[in-house]
Amino acid sequence: MSEPMAAVAGRPNEAASQAPLISMRDIRKSYGSVHALRGASLDVLPGEVVALVGDNGAGKSTLVKVMAGVIGFDSGDYLLEGQPAKIRTPADATALGIQTVYQDLSLCNNLDAVQNLFLGRELTGPRWFGRRVRRAECEVRAREVLARMRLGSLSLTRPVGAMSGGQRQNIAIARSILWTPKVVIFDEPTAALSHSAAAQVAALIRSLADDGLGVVVVSHDIHHFVVNSTDRIEVMRLGGNVASFRSKDVTGEQVVNAMVGGNEGANLAV
Amino acid sequence: MPWWVATRERTLLSESNSHPTGAVAAADAEVELVPATHPSEKRTFGELLTSDLRALPVIIGLVALWIFFILQNDVFLTPRNLSNLLIQSTVVGVMALGLMFVLLVKEIDLSVAAINGVTAVLMAKLIVEFGASPWVAIPLAIVVGALIGCVSARWVTFVGVPSFVVTLGLGLGLNGLQLILLPTTARYGLMGTSVETIALAKIDGLAAWGVLAIGVGLYGLLVLSSIVRRRRAGLSVSMVKGLALPLVGVTLFGAVVVAILNAHQGIPVVTLVFSALLGLGGYVLNETQFGLHLYAVGNNDEAARRAGIKVSRVKMAAFAIAGGISAIAGVIGASRSLGVGVFSGGGVGGGTLLLECIAAAVIGGVSLFGGRGSIHAPLLGSLVIGSVQNGLNLMGVHDEIRLIVTGLLLVLAVSIDKLIEKFTGQQSF
Repeated sequence: MSEPMAAVAGRPNEAASQAPLISMRDIRKSYGSVHALRGASLDVLPGEVVALVGDNGAGKSTLVKVMAGVIGFDSGDYLLEGQPAKIRTPADATALGIQTVYQDLSLCNNLDAVQNLFLGRELTGPRWFGRRVRRAECEVRAREVLARMRLGSLSLTRPVGAMSGGQRQNIAIARSILWTPKVVIFDEPTAALSHSAAAQVAALIRSLADDGLGVVVVSHDIHHFVVNSTDRIEVMRLGGNVASFRSKDVTGEQVVNAMVGGNEGANLAV
Repeated sequence: MPWWVATRERTLLSESNSHPTGAVAAADAEVELVPATHPSEKRTFGELLTSDLRALPVIIGLVALWIFFILQNDVFLTPRNLSNLLIQSTVVGVMALGLMFVLLVKEIDLSVAAINGVTAVLMAKLIVEFGASPWVAIPLAIVVGALIGCVSARWVTFVGVPSFVVTLGLGLGLNGLQLILLPTTARYGLMGTSVETIALAKIDGLAAWGVLAIGVGLYGLLVLSSIVRRRRAGLSVSMVKGLALPLVGVTLFGAVVVAILNAHQGIPVVTLVFSALLGLGGYVLNETQFGLHLYAVGNNDEAARRAGIKVSRVKMAAFAIAGGISAIAGVIGASRSLGVGVFSGGGVGGGTLLLECIAAAVIGGVSLFGGRGSIHAPLLGSLVIGSVQNGLNLMGVHDEIRLIVTGLLLVLAVSIDKLIEKFTGQQSF
């Protein structure tokens, strides 16, 4: 049990030797009398996929929203590479290398893949020319990223609204890594996907971690995705952490038990 | 170093992908990936109807209307009448063009007709009562129109009142202001102020061809620069589909129009203004970052916000454009009616002007639910409405029938759109 977690996860040379990219300690957040977070903590290590699980209202969404700069927090420490993170807006988080793939994917259905990838950060011409979008340049870069994700078959000119759920998910992921982030947060990445599409997304997520990124995944898909495709599982309940598992050591039932408060996960916690 | 390696040495998708544990190497070990077929950009006809060929039904409808009117009356196809038809369609077309920017961001501006009226009256008051030059009064009217648009946008985005309500109220308020600005005679005549010549002025002969050459030249430069950039970036370029076809198409279309107009006094200046606005609008919508953001905000404003787009600023610009362009339409309208009065801007409540410019945008294919509509929409929509008015007029049919026909066409146009979506299973964007 004293063995470093990352070593167990099979990447001894990376995660074990590196400091956490993100370290959240004792984060508290209340909405009036509702305590959404009562001292939640989470470390995000490079090269590791950490799953954040919990029942509805456990606080996992609130925690990732704090991480992504969507909402603020009342007290606690939010360290980014050891330094207090100055994150007030989603744009701050993005600028600091924390990208989020939202559950609703945040895509504009009437725009094509290239336009969605570069949305808000288009490469443009000079101001006096009305900031003309440098479509060709954007397209070349989009092609490169998609090709390396083995997504070369995606149409770049069709509106993404005309694409399948898996393709849209892939575009959202491609967008998150386009600007070389340090940490990528996934909110329910496999919900609403077919089995094969979910497997493809899981493989993509793994590939991000393999390349040294820290990956946080909020998921309800305990039995398939969480147990099989992550390295570490943090279980939240009532706004705090209740258990922590190495994914390869647990079964879905054990995780679910911890989520609903069965045996507190005590004897299984790392 | 490739472009994406910005700050970190060890980065995703970097050159290190030859590394065995590189980004995607692990991916295919675990699951069978979708085979990397070549990008298939071939589309079915149904798919084209909901994307590139979305204008086709409206164009077919317009042609059908014209054939009907030509069969009914010999005068319809004469250069003189076609020139009239274009002038008649201008005010509604220009208004629809401005309104389209607001509709694209999923808002509506019901005060455009009132802005049209109040700024026209303001311009006339400045000229007639204060002796201002039209060169001062007209730009001022346009600026005031844009400012009014800014005010509504601010109200909508900051206070959070739906634009439908804000602009409905604002429109009524502006109607009142318009009446206050008018003198006791309830009318400012603009004869002899040189404003009235705007609607009458025409550019004919060689000058008309020169104007066409300039327009086609600018368009050609734009298309060419896109092609050159694509080629330089190593992307596939189709000279025929990308360059020759659009250029030849635009040249032929322009040449036919200029030839017809030259057969009757030349290109009306107001038509030229409308064309220039269409060209500028097309550039903004199709080529610029702002245009892209309009579509993004209209489709999914939350996604746009998360992407760092300043949604309220984009919306304010859209309202300002609609306001400013309404003022331009107001000037054209004042010039056509040789003066301003209670009737300016469609009269109190916007009258048929407001309804027709919304109808024109929608008939042309602009969605009232945001994020959908191309630059050809105000042109086609206003031509449909203008043709019905002109054609029925020639047939001696009264106004009430015209309203009924226009209304039916509006519903028909949207119905066809919906039916195409239903039967092709494609959602149009």
